[in-house]
Amino acid sequence: MKTERNWGWPIAGYLFLGGLGGGAIIVSSVADLFLGRGDVFALGSFITAALIAVGSGLLVFELGRPLRFWRVFSRQKAIMTVGAWMLSLLIVTGFLYFTFWPDFSPWRPAVGLRKALAVLNLVLGLGVCTYTGILLGSLNARRFWNTPALPVLFLVSGLSTGVALQSLLAGAWPYAGGQEAVEALHDTLRAVDLALIVMELVVIMVYVLMMRTTAGSAAARAAARWLNGAYVKWFWGGVIAAGLLLPLVLYALGVPVLPALCVLAGGLILRFLVVYSDDRTFLPGEEKYLARLPRGDEAFLRAGTQQ
Amino acid sequence: MTRYAMIMDTRRCIGCESCTVACRIGNKLPIDMIYNPVTTVGPVGIYPHVHMIHYPLLCMHCENPPCVSACPTGASQQAQNGIVWVEEAKCIGCKACIQACPYHARHHNHETGTVYKCDFCKGRLELGLEPHCVKTCHQRARIFGDLDDPESEIARLYNSVATVQLLPECDTEPSVYYILSAGGQG
Repeated sequence: MKTERNWGWPIAGYLFLGGLGGGAIIVSSVADLFLGRGDVFALGSFITAALIAVGSGLLVFELGRPLRFWRVFSRQKAIMTVGAWMLSLLIVTGFLYFTFWPDFSPWRPAVGLRKALAVLNLVLGLGVCTYTGILLGSLNARRFWNTPALPVLFLVSGLSTGVALQSLLAGAWPYAGGQEAVEALHDTLRAVDLALIVMELVVIMVYVLMMRTTAGSAAARAAARWLNGAYVKWFWGGVIAAGLLLPLVLYALGVPVLPALCVLAGGLILRFLVVYSDDRTFLPGEEKYLARLPRGDEAFLRAGTQQ
Repeated sequence: MTRYAMIMDTRRCIGCESCTVACRIGNKLPIDMIYNPVTTVGPVGIYPHVHMIHYPLLCMHCENPPCVSACPTGASQQAQNGIVWVEEAKCIGCKACIQACPYHARHHNHETGTVYKCDFCKGRLELGLEPHCVKTCHQRARIFGDLDDPESEIARLYNSVATVQLLPECDTEPSVYYILSAGGQG
């Protein structure tokens, strides 16, 4: 059957990188502004800018006319326009913020300016983490997306993956201080990520189970694919078991590195499942109509191209 | 003011798909693109008490088009006369409008990279001609015209027969109305 699949893997990849980058820059900013330990997460801000840049590259790659991407910086009130501005700004401010940290940086002593950038990064990070869920959630044609639970899920998942990434990068160059501070922050990150994982478990189960019960059959159809249909392995095995429950146990046992990698993998799988759940309510008779359309590999369609 | 609209009289539609063919030829559409499919519901019931409805579809030219508000570049626009159209030079092919449309009325053209859709044959209207699908419908199941002109055939029909819009729960206010024949409606 000919299926309507509009956004593909580049968008899933972008949603993952956007949430990850947004979450990671929030960690850098909060550590700098409220804990006075921005130095430990300095490299994270650079990696964030790079990840957001790669994610934006995926967005451009997905376009039908990539060279016209600049037109998105218009004065439209579309959520996508707002998102494009936030992404571009965050790439610049994230990188600028990083340049305050290396020893050789001439503006390293300008602490006030750095903190101002951290505030801006915090706001942009929250924006980038959240707007993608609002973008998908505002499309009422897509019944599985059209719920306030989606932005909440994306925000919690983005924060969780961001914390996981920062736990891998904490204490890396250009940080040159002692290891005790890094260890203490590792404990904090672990506690925060544990809380976020529990929250994400609740949010995702509420989201999918509630969608399963909605009267609009399109949303229920998508939720059924997650719970006991085509995506059953990816949802229960990938997102829930490998991405949430396993890191919960590993964090509790104090295993290093591995839980963070699990969280990252779970976040990536989640974005794929969401992007591939763009179900629409069928118009009268549409399902039957689509089923009898050629798929594109029929002999009569190939006749012109064969020798 | 002109407010273009279409009424589909499903009591008249026989599901011949002439409109689909006329549209594809007239608008020179790529092979995998259909602006106006004709879907069929039924047959419902047991012979000899059966019925069947054909739904000629196309862009609903919504008064409140979600595709236009989703467009980040301003390529998707709503004209004064209600026609929703794409200014191709501004379209970047982000497919946000496709995701926003509840009616599957927007299509990604893999050759040009941009999004194509029914524009009520805007170019033909400017020349005083009817859209291809309306012109070709030998059963006169597609009634097209200006709803704001009280003397027009469509306005008189709209005011005299019960019609429904598709997916009203999406709050899009379609300009395409259906007269249903089943179950004595309309």
